[in-house]
Amino acid sequence: MAGQSDPHPSLFSADEVEFVAEDEMIEIVPNMRMEPLNLLCGDYGPFFPQMVTKVPIWLAIALKKRGKCTIRPPPWMSIESLTQILESERESQESFQVLPFHYVEISRLLFDHARDDIPDVYMVRSLIEDIRDVRFHKVETSLESFEDARSSAVRIKNLSAMEVNIVRPFVGRALQAFYKHGSPDLIPNPERMSNSNANRWQQAPDQGQRVCYELMHGVILKSALYEKDKGFDNDTRHCSTQARSCYIRMLARKIVPVFFGSLF
Amino acid sequence: MANYFDIDDILAEEELVSVVFQKAVNGVGIDPSSETDSVEPGSKVELPFWLAHELHLRQIATVKLPPSFNQKTRLELGADAACVDLRSRCPYFYEFGCKIAPLVGDRDMGSFLLSAFKNRYQEVLAKAHTAAFAAASKFLNLLTKEETNLYEAAQSSMAAFKKWRIGGPRFQRAAVLGRKRKPTA
Repeated sequence: MAGQSDPHPSLFSADEVEFVAEDEMIEIVPNMRMEPLNLLCGDYGPFFPQMVTKVPIWLAIALKKRGKCTIRPPPWMSIESLTQILESERESQESFQVLPFHYVEISRLLFDHARDDIPDVYMVRSLIEDIRDVRFHKVETSLESFEDARSSAVRIKNLSAMEVNIVRPFVGRALQAFYKHGSPDLIPNPERMSNSNANRWQQAPDQGQRVCYELMHGVILKSALYEKDKGFDNDTRHCSTQARSCYIRMLARKIVPVFFGSLF
Repeated sequence: MANYFDIDDILAEEELVSVVFQKAVNGVGIDPSSETDSVEPGSKVELPFWLAHELHLRQIATVKLPPSFNQKTRLELGADAACVDLRSRCPYFYEFGCKIAPLVGDRDMGSFLLSAFKNRYQEVLAKAHTAAFAAASKFLNLLTKEETNLYEAAQSSMAAFKKWRIGGPRFQRAAVLGRKRKPTA
């Protein structure tokens, strides 16, 4: 099982997933007047007191820390909608409810930095914990069963980033093993060897195995939250662009605090 | 040669297999039972896999199916895969199975390994993300090296997530900061 002794099985650490989640947009109510911010990752503002505006979470937190705004919790983070989600999560054992891709990270960021802006923060927090536990248990049970006996593929929809990140090291390796033992050319077959080596991937013998291969290289389980039914290529592309732009944003982020320092 | 430096791959090839020599070999001390430094044709010797593999390629020796893949083991795995102690039979069961299959010409090996792994995978999955460490040690003794890797990957990612959830200092202080300068004479 090649790659099994890889010391970094997980592509992203939890902190990095949180970092990516900080790019999600959120509504804030500023209490100061400020010119628009023209940053590498986009233009935000202008900011006027009491006028709701949308900014990325990292910017919202930076402003909140300085007491320049209040954060409006997203609509799904209310007791009513969370209770409803928890109920329907408990009801169906197979399907997952639609939640924001980064709900685990966003909720933690808001609990850490903007407790006073969330109504009923304790209730909301315990509801989200419950939802996460229920969902993770479902992830485990659904990983147990394969769609059919021949292919080693599992389809789970509406998984969130953190849930995928937790199971990724395990699932990636398990699928690698399934792929390895499931491939028909474990024993070299003379007439197949001659023509199959060159174009082995193109004429992938079994759909399930091809999916499996794509899964382990495509980093992520098919999490069809944003790009429903567009197939694997979109998901994998989405992932790799995210990883790449991560570094650009890091650079952008470095510039911002300096910027603020001169402003305030 | 992608995994030439892979320590697991090297260790897997250390596994002993019994071979039957087809040709006489002179000047080697491979066979401990022979009095001279030569091997007679037809003698059975236990050799590590990497050597047996080379001899097999040169058609000097034929390889016999190791006992960890015999019919008895297959029946046991078929009965209740999760409870079979594969570690004591062969710590690199799957890896070694893949390597030995072409040498013994076993066409069922792939599907046998797959079904064994599939059944044991569910057991690992059920325990990997939850079980407390103390309860796991007995279960861990049954797993092969590959399965242990799988188990540990799941455990460490879960532990990393829990650590993140509990939180802690978001900013780490660089080691060079706050250190007092040595007074220079």
